[in-house]
Amino acid sequence: MKNCLGIINLSEIDNNFGVLCQSRPTSMLPFAGRYRVIDFILSNIVNSGITGIGIFTGNKVRSVMDHLGSGRPWDLDRKINGLFLFTPTYDYTSTYKRVGDLDLFYQNNSFIKYAKQENLFLAKSYMVANIDLNEAYEKFVESDSDICMIYKPVEDTDHAFIGCDMIHLDSQGNFDSIGTNLGKNRAFNLSLEMYFMKKEVYFDILFDAIEKGSANFLKQALFNTLHKYKVTTHAFDGHVSCINNIKNYTDANFAILDSEVSNDLFFKNGQIFTKVKDEPSTYYKSHAKVKNSFVANGCQIDGYVENSIIFRGVKIDKGAIIKNSIIMQKADIQRNAHLNHVILDKRATINAGVTLIGEPNNPYIAGKKASIVKEVV
Amino acid sequence: MKEGKMIAMLLAGGQGSRLKLLTKDVAKPAVPFGGKYRIIDFPLSNCSNSGIFDVGILTQYKPYHLNSHIGIGSSWDLDRRTGGVRVLPPYTNEQGGRWYKGTANAIYENISFIDELSPEFVLILSGDHIYKMDYSIMLEYHRNKKADVTISVVEVPWEEASRFGLMHVNPDMSVIEFEEKPKKPKSNLASMGIYIFDWKALRRYLIADEKDPNSGNDFGHDIIPKMMNDGKKLFAYQFEGYWKDVGTIKSYWESNMDLLADSNTLDLYDRNWKIYSKNRHLPPHYVSKDASVVNSLINEGCRIEGSLYNTVLFNEIMVGKNAQVVNSVVLSGAVIEEGAEVYNAVVMEDVVIKAGTKIGTKDDTVVYLVSKNKIIES
Repeated sequence: MKNCLGIINLSEIDNNFGVLCQSRPTSMLPFAGRYRVIDFILSNIVNSGITGIGIFTGNKVRSVMDHLGSGRPWDLDRKINGLFLFTPTYDYTSTYKRVGDLDLFYQNNSFIKYAKQENLFLAKSYMVANIDLNEAYEKFVESDSDICMIYKPVEDTDHAFIGCDMIHLDSQGNFDSIGTNLGKNRAFNLSLEMYFMKKEVYFDILFDAIEKGSANFLKQALFNTLHKYKVTTHAFDGHVSCINNIKNYTDANFAILDSEVSNDLFFKNGQIFTKVKDEPSTYYKSHAKVKNSFVANGCQIDGYVENSIIFRGVKIDKGAIIKNSIIMQKADIQRNAHLNHVILDKRATINAGVTLIGEPNNPYIAGKKASIVKEVV
Repeated sequence: MKEGKMIAMLLAGGQGSRLKLLTKDVAKPAVPFGGKYRIIDFPLSNCSNSGIFDVGILTQYKPYHLNSHIGIGSSWDLDRRTGGVRVLPPYTNEQGGRWYKGTANAIYENISFIDELSPEFVLILSGDHIYKMDYSIMLEYHRNKKADVTISVVEVPWEEASRFGLMHVNPDMSVIEFEEKPKKPKSNLASMGIYIFDWKALRRYLIADEKDPNSGNDFGHDIIPKMMNDGKKLFAYQFEGYWKDVGTIKSYWESNMDLLADSNTLDLYDRNWKIYSKNRHLPPHYVSKDASVVNSLINEGCRIEGSLYNTVLFNEIMVGKNAQVVNSVVLSGAVIEEGAEVYNAVVMEDVVIKAGTKIGTKDDTVVYLVSKNKIIES
């Protein structure tokens, strides 16, 4: 892995999350009690032994910078390699269209060009999994491929992966083509949008697309020219959640209540790292009653909690009832409040006696720092 | 802060033999406390919260876990370009190697280290106590009193006073007399083992003390009494708030239980005075549909399927179905299997309590220290 540079591209779809993504990109959505979505791919890369990672931050930079900082939680505050952040820039001199992410990749070309590594690992953040990337990398190197794509064979019964990339293999199991899943087939090979790629191939694809004006997005440029390269694939068989809309985000959170999923996601191929908050343990007071829930540190609970995900530093007062909900960091839920199918963003305050009821497929969402006083039904 | 710099010297070499098996592999300051901390996290967090960024940690007894816990001090924000945390073990020189003979000798051996930092004041701390304290306020007091030594004291119940080193003081808090564990206490102000010295004065006394063959090289027994005899200005600084010496298994268990009491005054949730510790990067804990958790502290990575009452759980602990854990402290990695019952116990790291086993009973007055091989009553 020493010869491989990690690249995470955070220009992802974030308009399917309503108020949750008002000031943060998808990659920074709080997830599973104490993480952000990006922690999973970032930890996967670090756990694989890659020590140099470039992150293209996308537009909502503040949240990204705040979370990643110097990269210390991921052991990326390095003298040799480490974390590099690329924010959008304004440039008058561009002669080509400023749509998509290709232009940003080109502007930061020198990072990749002068890096000593000869191979690249390209990924996005929205496919949440705990993957051992070494398996795919070995395959990529041994087969002398130009590109190696990671996929997971899925049985998509509830159409969670509509709009995602699907990979088609021929009868020998070799790469045939890649397209978009419209839901026609239940069983298909879901592309995790994680690719190993030779550096020279990357430049080839990038420059070709810019010169010809044939693509705006790196992915588009890649798909246009796949026929020119030796492409191999690697199947991953662990748990994958795709965070591309609120429904999937909610399901992905509740999925960890299943012990198989949580073991897979948190422990299977290494630890998941995140920004440290130094919260004390969670204090269950004398009226606490908690059932089937994930609870992070720093909470003070005196109410009833069921089938829920409670993030760090949440206060739940006596008489409060929380069911089927995702309660983010430092929310304050006061006496006799009643929440069912609710997503509360960070630092929300639910005053005494307030009732908030959402629906299983359409949760009630309260934005960051919301303070809810009167009853909303 | 350049003027009148204060550095801290933290005595962390003690064995804490009365903690028995808890200190079999680690020094007392590295003993786990309060669900996610080690005892030394309290003085170290107090230092960084008080704005003291030069901390020398004197180690001697079984330092491995302590050293790896301290690392470069980044957990407490003490990894600094200048200053920061330094671990100071005994060392050899031209005259050969020596162990630290006592608390004062440990500082004596590191005079050159302190000289290099050239502080005006030296704060002596011990790594044995649980408390939250702003040392910068104590320093201000020390300066206002123009004292040579300021000793932090805390009021203890009269009936327990004879267990402590006591300060008999004038109304202006100047010290009249210091008595180590007297039978008939004249005062109930116990020394907390926290001293602020003027470095120049302390330096002289340390050198003189080293030359005295009859000295025990201890702050409480030797340095402080000598300074008193010489008419130096000693003041007591009264600390108010939670303070506990976790000297024995029983008091260790009690101080953990204190965190669960309504009357608890050690607020771990105060965001203005956080207690920092090394982070383990574990997922949140899970409480199953059959579990019951009341009046307890739970740390990350645990999986609870049984019932907990008045219990402090550290990280990565499994509690099986129908298991009962009451009035207990369970250290990280332990497993309480299905149907097991544990009362009034301190369960050590990675101990597996087999299905159906019973330890203690509801109305026990003794505390059980449960290790892998044996159970000690205390």
